[in-house]
Amino acid sequence: MSSRDAVVYKTPLSRIWTIFTVIFIAFYLLWTLLPLVIMTFSSFKDLLAAFQLPPVGAFSEIGLFFNFTPTTKHYYNLFVNLGFTTYFLNSIIAAGGSAIISVVLGSMCAYALSRYEFRGKSDLFFWIISTRMAPVVAVLVPLYAIFRGMDLIGTQAGLILAFTTFNLPFAIWILKGFFDNVPYAIEEASMVDGSTRFQAFRAILPLVAPGIGAFVILCILFAWNDFLFASIIGSGGAKTLPPATVELVQPQNIQWGSIMAAGVITTLPMMLLGLLIRRYLVTGLTMGAVRE
Amino acid sequence: MALVTITNVWKYYGKTVAVKDLNITCKDGEFVSVLGPSGCGKSSTLRMLAGLEHISAGDIRFGDTRVNDLEPKDRDIAMVFENYALYPHKTVYENMANPLRLRNESEDTIKKRIAFAAEMLEIEYLLQRKPMELSGGQKQRTAIGRAIVREPKLFLFDEPIAHLDAKLRARMRGELKIMQRRLGTTMIYVTHDQLEAMSMADRIAVMNNGVLQQFGTPQEIYNHPVNEWVAGFVGEPPMNFIDCDLIEEGGGFYAVHSAFKVAVPADQAAKLRGALKSSGVRMGIRPDQMAISLGQEGAAKGSIKITEPLGGDTLVDVDLKGAHHVLVKTDADFRGQMNNSCSLNFDTSRWHFFSKETGVAYF
Ligand SMILES: Nc1ncnc2c1ncn2[C@@H]1O[C@H](COP(=O)(O)OP(=O)(O)OP(=O)(O)O)[C@@H](O)[C@H]1O
Ligand SMILES: [Mg+2]
Repeated sequence: MSSRDAVVYKTPLSRIWTIFTVIFIAFYLLWTLLPLVIMTFSSFKDLLAAFQLPPVGAFSEIGLFFNFTPTTKHYYNLFVNLGFTTYFLNSIIAAGGSAIISVVLGSMCAYALSRYEFRGKSDLFFWIISTRMAPVVAVLVPLYAIFRGMDLIGTQAGLILAFTTFNLPFAIWILKGFFDNVPYAIEEASMVDGSTRFQAFRAILPLVAPGIGAFVILCILFAWNDFLFASIIGSGGAKTLPPATVELVQPQNIQWGSIMAAGVITTLPMMLLGLLIRRYLVTGLTMGAVRE
Repeated sequence: MALVTITNVWKYYGKTVAVKDLNITCKDGEFVSVLGPSGCGKSSTLRMLAGLEHISAGDIRFGDTRVNDLEPKDRDIAMVFENYALYPHKTVYENMANPLRLRNESEDTIKKRIAFAAEMLEIEYLLQRKPMELSGGQKQRTAIGRAIVREPKLFLFDEPIAHLDAKLRARMRGELKIMQRRLGTTMIYVTHDQLEAMSMADRIAVMNNGVLQQFGTPQEIYNHPVNEWVAGFVGEPPMNFIDCDLIEEGGGFYAVHSAFKVAVPADQAAKLRGALKSSGVRMGIRPDQMAISLGQEGAAKGSIKITEPLGGDTLVDVDLKGAHHVLVKTDADFRGQMNNSCSLNFDTSRWHFFSKETGVAYF
């Protein structure tokens, strides 16, 4: 088995490349982090302070940006007056619910597609991923009609179902690849050890944990950030954070402070989730268990 | 414990035939080895016994129960896989504990059984490691451990010690045999190593190309091979085959070759009568069933091509007149040199004759 430490050889070219990489990363960080920093700071600022900006090009007066008395009134306003507690919970329920349903159904389906040969299997598989090829807007109107007919508009169940419709094919697609990489022998050993087919399936689940981790992230991200489904199917009873935030933009009064605060509470959980699940994304768990 | 009966079993993979019309019966508590070259259908047979492979045709019975349609878990077997098949995310201990946990054994029992197996396999110090951190031989021993912690009806071992070093392999041969005798569990042991089969098994099933060639005790297989293929496959160094003619002269039979003319003992002549009419026979004799001497007094004359001293004894490659090479095993103090002329005396009580066309043994 090969070692995990890659050998690196230094050449002049590679040194120049390293410098270039560092500069690129620095710019990239600035590009991605600056909006987040401004958003976070602004959410703690009074409206007046938020618009006190130094003139363009005057870098010496940059201190002005940090010169303010922090206030939590925007957060207070969001949670106490505007009902964001409910929207926050709605977001969690919709994203979490669809992730759980998609993972459970998706892993079983992916396992079946990976392990069994049957006529029309490749067609079935193509049909499953093809449902993800159409853009969401294209199916939104018919979906709305169907959901209305079933009284699912404005309900948690409806929103979860809508997200699952879009996440499940994705789950099957990702997880099938991971199951394909798990040797049959491990399940066979498990069945000889005395487990049922279903127990054998569960026994190899830890081996596809990286796939499940990756999928859960993507699935939750999709649902959490989604605006279209949330505003059309979830509107009313199951309003999530993105449509709720948009409602803060009113014709006569754009509530910048609250919008910034809403941005922070929408972003933060996703960052924490990313940190939490990172270790599941490390692949290579099956290495060395089976003689190749 | 079980009587295992394999009746007219066939295995197809698509159009490939892996096993052809196999019939084997293992007695209760017997150690049966399935021996054959790579690709002859050994693993396929074992996997059908385990329930991992569909049986294309025929029946397999454990005792009176037909198991064709039983799931692996209901067959009460323990198997060692050719490619280890350990659980990569579990430690060696948990790997071995898995079959016991699935049977709801108590933690106490689990601990005791694993301690026993780990000691026998010398893997105590590895119990907390994951498979990734083990060498091939250590993985193989873990896989054996996982099989023997249970007390199943039937052991199925697929080349379990092929990846150990020579010394450990020799020890494991003994250990596994002792273990099997002590537990009294029926064992079906697949190997391509004839030494393993000969030294461990009560009976050996020799297979080639999916066809069972011979099923018998190691002595039967070695001393009375049913055909040329079995005779050549079993025994190390392999049996020598020499084409010769069979003639009847003055009431006796003679095997005639440009380098020798040797009388066939009277008791063998009867079995060879049918061969008289054929265009010739093939004589087979093992390297240690000939005596070599320098000079020309022996029955078959030739010259030494090369000698290979092996320490305990010496292998001599002899060029018989008529372009036949014959390998002879002799004492370590044999003093022949390359190109010396020499001669051989056959132990005619132990040689074999095969049909030149079909390879079937006359005796
Ligand atoms: N899943 C499969 N699909 C198609 N052919 C197969 C499959 N498994 C085995 N075969 C074929 O069946 C034949 C017997 O294979 P098998 O694995 O039983 O051999 P073996 O005796 O165990 O060999 P080895 O000593 O190399 O393990 C081979 O010709 C092989 O190519
Ligand atoms: Mg095999």
